[in-house]
Amino acid sequence: MQAGNGIKVIVTMIGLDGHTTGGEVVAMILRDAGFEVVYLGVNQTPRMIIDAAIQEDVDVIGISSHASNYGQIEELVDLARANGLDDMLIVVGGNIPREPAQHLLAKGVHKIFLPGSSGATIVEYLSTEARGARKSAPATRRSGAGNADQGRM
Amino acid sequence: MKRETDYGYAIKPVYTPADVAGLDYEKDLGHPGSFPYTRGYHESGYRTRMWTQRMTAGLGSSKQANGVLKKYREMGQRGGMCVISDRVFSHCIDPDHPLGRKEAGVLGWPGCSLLEFEELMDGIPLTGQSITLLGSSAPTVMRLAYVVALAHKRGIDPSEIHGSVMESPFENYFGQTDVQPFDLNLKLWLDASEYVVRNKIRMRSSVISQHFQESGGNNAQAVAVVLSMYKELCGKLVRERGLDFDDAALVPYELVSIGTRFFEEIAKVRALRRMWARIARDEFKAKTEKACQMLIAVHTSGRTMTYQQPLNNIARCAIQSLAGAMVGCTAMDNATMDNAYAEPSALAARMSLNTQHIVAHETGVADVVDPLAGSYFVEALTNEVEQEATKILNKIDELGGLIAAIDKGYIQEMLRDEANKKFIEMDKKDRLIVGVNHLEIPPEEDFEIPIQKLHPGDSEAIAERMAKWKPTRDQDLLKARIQQLYTDAQKGDRFNLMPSIVEAVEAYATSGEVIGTIRKARGLNYDPFNVIECPFALH
Repeated sequence: MQAGNGIKVIVTMIGLDGHTTGGEVVAMILRDAGFEVVYLGVNQTPRMIIDAAIQEDVDVIGISSHASNYGQIEELVDLARANGLDDMLIVVGGNIPREPAQHLLAKGVHKIFLPGSSGATIVEYLSTEARGARKSAPATRRSGAGNADQGRM
Repeated sequence: MKRETDYGYAIKPVYTPADVAGLDYEKDLGHPGSFPYTRGYHESGYRTRMWTQRMTAGLGSSKQANGVLKKYREMGQRGGMCVISDRVFSHCIDPDHPLGRKEAGVLGWPGCSLLEFEELMDGIPLTGQSITLLGSSAPTVMRLAYVVALAHKRGIDPSEIHGSVMESPFENYFGQTDVQPFDLNLKLWLDASEYVVRNKIRMRSSVISQHFQESGGNNAQAVAVVLSMYKELCGKLVRERGLDFDDAALVPYELVSIGTRFFEEIAKVRALRRMWARIARDEFKAKTEKACQMLIAVHTSGRTMTYQQPLNNIARCAIQSLAGAMVGCTAMDNATMDNAYAEPSALAARMSLNTQHIVAHETGVADVVDPLAGSYFVEALTNEVEQEATKILNKIDELGGLIAAIDKGYIQEMLRDEANKKFIEMDKKDRLIVGVNHLEIPPEEDFEIPIQKLHPGDSEAIAERMAKWKPTRDQDLLKARIQQLYTDAQKGDRFNLMPSIVEAVEAYATSGEVIGTIRKARGLNYDPFNVIECPFALH
């Protein structure tokens, strides 16, 4: 199965979150499904993740979140907008209670994978939505860090 | 569905005397209290001493955590207290660090200075109960220094305090991460361990398989890994710090993760006791019985606490607590039904603590030592997990010990493969988890439990308090103590920094300042994240 052909995904923890198992398992699932995975690991600030996303020209940022530090995910969403990364998906996986999960979705996170999400669900979502996002914004895609004015506000 | 242990041993439908034909009671089990201690260390078990029943606390400010500890005491937690660090203290930066500011008090106790410890312990005795402070390895020396400093302030001899505030440097590889380098964490761990032995302070260090197993490792691997940690660390205390093995062996304690595979968990702990006893006697030539007895506490598995249908976790916790009691543990702390959501709510904490009380007082399980001994199945499983763990332990020895095995990536790869395997097994329904991949219900039908909420302003308040408080300290004293620490930290790995760390902590130096100063003396950046500059003019 090569569902992930041509799709590049960052998998990372955010802030001081040191729980790596979920992120590593998802990285394996995505690689096995043909995605190109950039695994950033721990101790990544929102700024560092966005810089990596621009440098690596990724289609998706996936945050593995197990430390209740949701404020940093919100900061990441703001930074993505400010940098014009409008067609890039931001998805989060982890044990996030309903209320902050709803809040993050309202803030602009595209999808939250709660505990129990199957590998197939994650692969299917990314392979359809990331490509969809790519098709919908062919010309202006990610022209760099100076395009804060292209934010979707 | 798989009918095999998590390390791949196929379980038979029935066990008979043939499965334990070679078992020699005296040699392989021993009477409770007798070598090789498969059946435990006390002839009368819990009749002489009930296990310590405790819950982990730590969220929000130190004052809030103090309130929780007092609440737990009201709920019947008297034998010992247990507090976990937030991610900021775990890394040994400070709440007013730009990265600390966002996460102080979020996932535990923000214990970055003696002031925080004083507030945490306000109205709570240092003696008469075990003091356990958990978190990562990096703050080991800080936590120990707090205990010593507060004892001095309260006029208590530190040797009257017991508990565990140190943590093995290996945990960094097993999911309990911090940002400090392994060689620094190892050096500071050896300093702290040598200090408690030489000063006769009854403080232990967690050298534990729990993180490894909660990160996905299997039972046999967990046994092998904890034994290899014991061998490596006790060996270093003997060879590099000149301690007697019989003293060094009293530093570590094992926190074992107990999941829902009831008999396998019990077999694991029984095998662990037997294996360590033989290693201590045969490899390290232990002279005392104590040195052959691995102190084992139980943590019921947080990993098994599901997000879906969280009330089901009460049943899981009860099964695990029963197993934990049956293995003959020293202390137990439970994961809670809301473990997949947040730090325990008062309701969830009471539920878990009461689960222990029910097991202790209502089931009768605490009346008899090692009640499953002699079961064909349990003895066979004990032998199986020992055999499998021995293979892994031999492999680690072949590679040159645990540090060498980690350098070669062997342990990390083993853990990663096993975590992946566990996920795939669940994904394919080879292992069923009720509410997750079996008998699921739609989220809108799921029952809701109260979740302890986080207040985003709390972190900022903790950070601001520290930023305003720092200049109010006696600056001359602080600078002098930090300078002394800097000077000592350049005297080589074997020079014990604990005395100068205690003095710095008594001058209210923070975790970021103490560890930052030691880092600088070792040629590293003061700030592990390289965001802030060293605030001291060191020479």
